[in-house]
Amino acid sequence: MRLHVHLSSNWVLDREMREYSPDEEVDFCIVGTGAGGGVLAQRLARYGFSVVALEAGPWHDSETDMVSDEAGSSRLYWNDLRITGGREPLELGANNSGRGVGGSTVHYAAFCPRFHPSDFRVRTLDGVAVDWPISYDDLEPYYVQMEQEYPVSGPAYYPWGKPHGYPYTPLQAGTAGQKLIEGCVKLGIPVVAGGPVAIPAGAFGKRPHCIMRGFCLLGCKVGAKSSILVSHIPDAIEHGAEIRAQCMAYEIPIDGEGRAIGVRYYETDAQGRIHDRQQRAKAVVVAGYAIESPRLLLNSTSSRFPHGLANSSGLVGKFLMAQAAPVVWGRFEELIRQYKAPPACACSEEFYETDPRNDFVRGYSLQTVAPLPIAMAHLIVDEDGRFGEELVVAMQEYNHYAAIGVLGEILPDERNAVTLHPIFRDQYGIPVPYVHFNLFENDQKLLRAGIRRAEEVLQAAGAVETHAVHRYAHLVGTCRMGFSPSDSVVDQWCRSWDVPNLFVCDGSVLPTQGSANPALTISALAARTADWLRQAAPRGELAQRPVAARRGGR
Amino acid sequence: MTIWNRYPDSDILAQRGHWDDATRRVVLDRVYNVPPFRTLNPHERETLEALCDRVIPQDWKPAERRVPIAPWIDQNMSQSAVEGFRFEDMPPNTEAWRQGLAGLDQTAQALFGQQFAVLPPEQQDQVLHTIRGGSPPGEIWRRLPASRWWRYVALRQITGVYYAHPYAWDEIGFGGPAYPRGYFALNFGAPEPWEAREVPPPGRNGARR
Repeated sequence: MRLHVHLSSNWVLDREMREYSPDEEVDFCIVGTGAGGGVLAQRLARYGFSVVALEAGPWHDSETDMVSDEAGSSRLYWNDLRITGGREPLELGANNSGRGVGGSTVHYAAFCPRFHPSDFRVRTLDGVAVDWPISYDDLEPYYVQMEQEYPVSGPAYYPWGKPHGYPYTPLQAGTAGQKLIEGCVKLGIPVVAGGPVAIPAGAFGKRPHCIMRGFCLLGCKVGAKSSILVSHIPDAIEHGAEIRAQCMAYEIPIDGEGRAIGVRYYETDAQGRIHDRQQRAKAVVVAGYAIESPRLLLNSTSSRFPHGLANSSGLVGKFLMAQAAPVVWGRFEELIRQYKAPPACACSEEFYETDPRNDFVRGYSLQTVAPLPIAMAHLIVDEDGRFGEELVVAMQEYNHYAAIGVLGEILPDERNAVTLHPIFRDQYGIPVPYVHFNLFENDQKLLRAGIRRAEEVLQAAGAVETHAVHRYAHLVGTCRMGFSPSDSVVDQWCRSWDVPNLFVCDGSVLPTQGSANPALTISALAARTADWLRQAAPRGELAQRPVAARRGGR
Repeated sequence: MTIWNRYPDSDILAQRGHWDDATRRVVLDRVYNVPPFRTLNPHERETLEALCDRVIPQDWKPAERRVPIAPWIDQNMSQSAVEGFRFEDMPPNTEAWRQGLAGLDQTAQALFGQQFAVLPPEQQDQVLHTIRGGSPPGEIWRRLPASRWWRYVALRQITGVYYAHPYAWDEIGFGGPAYPRGYFALNFGAPEPWEAREVPPPGRNGARR
């Protein structure tokens, strides 16, 4: 099929895309095209495998489908119904769920820090949660690759976690970002200007220079911000992968031996008609992020797998994590005009690690955020439900606000989970996900400390008053990787313990989440899995179920 | 605390020639194609309009600069837009609005013996403060969580419509759509050459930059 999609102001992806018939057995059928699925599709295609990637949403043409407007951008989000509950019910949709080629990287802020080495060993170090079956060192080469390929800009020396430098120089911070820097400097808190952000200063290949428009969260019309849509999808197509948009997967069928034989999906055609189809594949990869991936597995039941595919452990959907992401903003006498420049432009990871002086373990990052008017109004009304003159006056101060986003680690808890709703079904007739979420004691203490710290920073920068509202960002967990079939859903290569040719390759495999935005880690894991598949698939390893690792060994 | 016109020279719509086609279409549609009411009945509509007037008072502005809010909320109902999730203790959007608007009347009846829309503004505010507080009188509020309705249905949607409008952007000094032109004045909160300057409050000279 002929593609014609603007990826940036002056770059049209205008070319033939290889197409496969659903009856043709491809090497890999991937569900999802975001940070995990998109990178995996690109790698596997480059390694010579035949690849079809199903994407529930559309192609987003940067010229015609993206707008420089907050209220007009909802088509970028996963807007299908989900029911959310628990003591701290998560808001979904806009903030954390993308729909369309490139997934939620299309509308992320593009903060792309690495996890710290400690993140992989929190059970050993802090006695909480679990260790990962891999270490930081296993992932490090893939972090380096992804930082080149997205690419990620940042300082030449980044002092936190395992210190490292970034390959590209960052953009300058806007006035709002400078307030975080100023406050930290006054308090003696190490801070980096142009913290790891996937927007380089200057043009990159066919991608122009950022125009400092500040609409990163509404899709980058310029094409300067990295998203999987512009960084990996074109290369995947170049190497023969088919990206099949408007295709919603609903079931992974299996054969008599318990092996996946493809993916069943509903394709919506240009007239809005829905067709029930099945793509045959030698191996299947689920990469729909932490709600849709477990939903697809739980909806794939059979007499052999009555509780859902890859779920012999009963852990599919469990240990859902979001990051505590309260927004703390200060009002300044001077003008800020926070809507200018990318919101992601400076950060401090000084409080990321466990500090024995705290009454909690693990920590948080401080990052710049810059709410546009509607987001700002929602923060203000969420804070105290104000209305009338009080609300209008608070909004008239819009240009005097600078905000900090705290990004705090919430520990995995089995009770935070994604299940299938017993009653409601979506427009395709698939059971909708039910998302249950509570904070627990460590989470609450950490959250309070993060808010307090952000308030101090803003005050040091000169804020005359500060405000804080709880928010949550990112969704991970729900198909955790681990050491054995009883403690996890997938092994260290993202392969299901139960179904030898089934993989989960997205944020749902993360056993813990650190205080780092997860996109880069998800992509690094996908690249690592792709390298293993390149060797393992030809050797016939996808025919046998994986063997449990020795705990502590690799 | 008073409202004053801080950016009297701001006219974001006049910048429309600098916007891309797709954005211009979306924003101008919002300004010039206000949809008719399709879902709410006349009484519900009157109640919603009264609510919008109290949440975002606009009587301080000339009539032609006021932003219609209620029609867009009604339109979202008629398109039964799902915004990606629903709290398990809340009904679907249209139902939440219908119940909440009826709840305004129940609380108004309990406090003042009249329907919400006909109350004087001070009493309407008292009704809203009671709902904001979380446990207002009225049978509906026993099944519809008042503070969740207040924040997530009423305030989020009303502000979501209002601050999407170029006239509201003028009021807060927001630069509006910025593609393909972009920004280059990035330091010290400076305005672009085409952006309006903030003026000090009446009776105060130049204390604020």
